[in-house]
Amino acid sequence: MSDAVVVDKVTKVFNQGRPDEVVALSDVDLVVPSGSLISLIGPSGCGKSTLLRLIGDLITPTSGTVSVAGKDADTARRQQEYGIAFQQAGLFEWRTVVRNVELPLELRGMSRADRRSRALEMLSLVGLSDFAGHYPAQLSGGMQQRVAIARALAVQPPLLLMDEPFGALDEMTRERLQSELLGICAKTGTSTVFVTHSISEAVFLSNRVVVMSPRPGRIVTAVDVDLPVRDDTVRQSEKYFEYVTAVRRALRGVPQKSPL
Amino acid sequence: MKWARTILPPVIVGVLFIALWQLIVTAGRIAPFILPAPSEIWEELVAQRQNVWEAAVSSGENALIGLFFGALSGVLLAMAASRFKALDDVSLPFAAILNALPIIALAPILNNMFESTSSIPRRLVAGIIAFFPVFINTLRGLREVDPIHRELMHTYAASGWTFATKVRLPSALPYVFTGLRQASSLAVIAAVVAEYFGGLQTGLGSRITSAAAFTAYPRAWAYVVGACLLGLVFYLATLALERLAMPWRKRLI
Repeated sequence: MSDAVVVDKVTKVFNQGRPDEVVALSDVDLVVPSGSLISLIGPSGCGKSTLLRLIGDLITPTSGTVSVAGKDADTARRQQEYGIAFQQAGLFEWRTVVRNVELPLELRGMSRADRRSRALEMLSLVGLSDFAGHYPAQLSGGMQQRVAIARALAVQPPLLLMDEPFGALDEMTRERLQSELLGICAKTGTSTVFVTHSISEAVFLSNRVVVMSPRPGRIVTAVDVDLPVRDDTVRQSEKYFEYVTAVRRALRGVPQKSPL
Repeated sequence: MKWARTILPPVIVGVLFIALWQLIVTAGRIAPFILPAPSEIWEELVAQRQNVWEAAVSSGENALIGLFFGALSGVLLAMAASRFKALDDVSLPFAAILNALPIIALAPILNNMFESTSSIPRRLVAGIIAFFPVFINTLRGLREVDPIHRELMHTYAASGWTFATKVRLPSALPYVFTGLRQASSLAVIAAVVAEYFGGLQTGLGSRITSAAAFTAYPRAWAYVVGACLLGLVFYLATLALERLAMPWRKRLI
């Protein structure tokens, strides 16, 4: 089986040839094996979001290639090979919850009945079946984010791209959603690229934590995480803290934007 | 109870205001040509109710037709301007000039351009006045699309047309209605005031001027009350339409 994502020697330069030229990513290689969850972590400006956007074909690389599910990034995007979620839920406030989840299906030309049943299935996956008829403004931030995840999963993509999706949530909601995300990924076999600021979040979720550094953005090292189970007890375990320490150490070697 | 709490305070204030007005006019012996008492205005309003109603229907029709076409062209032109950069650059200064014009002042000129039995001048004035707030607000709304929505639609490989109908238009709706609310009141004012400058004399405006010319001030005031009610009806109708069109919005103002 081919890898979910292969990033090969990718460089991204913004405003090339102008005085405000920025090298956002320099010579980055990344492989996401099918079914695994990879976290990208690093200080602000290290290019982790840029890398995610390159994979999603929201921007194009200056040099190098990105392939998703064995296809080039543009084709993969057009065939909806991935679902994406951002830090803001970004729901369409004029659509009810269920119609928000239906939108990507609608654009795929799925029939009304089919997309309704698929959307309801996705909502039950994130535990929001009772809120299908509500408008986004009537939901809490955590619930909105769950709707956004349901929407990202609606086309049942082999790949999920997440850009700090839990960044704006409180700690308790965040931990609950992390567990839910792991459950969903395990159930659906989805591969995930997850951008985060949080070391504990990265370790808890990932098979591999990729540590990045800024100016120019590049990958410093990767920490493979091998936890036997991933439930709330593991957050207290010796092994978990070892991984957290390892990632923190790797990040320490990275020049920070502002010392705390 | 909640209903009573929102309705009662303004009603009480209104009643107090009218009572105070009545008291000042009768106790202060203010001449009726300066300020008639509310009771006199009310008597006139009851006596003239058929005429007030007919004049209000006539003005209302003019305002409605003007509002409809003014708002429609405002929305369509805003859509075109947000779609084509060149049109955008050209249309804004023109719209600003149109807005800066004292459009009411065009009424006598328009009256001369059309026959004296034509309703078009008044409707034209109402339409031009309604156009600007709708155009400006819609254009702003069409431009302000949430960047996340833009990116999401890009990941869905949505076409330009799909993006316009599924995202750009619905997200601009609140702005369209902000413009419509301003336009609805302005259209009524325009339809009434345009009659001050001649043309067909079937609406509230001409009744107010003729009553005032005959020093029948309570009657003039009765027609002013009619104009107030007409403006209120237009405003509330717009609010109701807004609520129907945007059920996801809880608070309207």
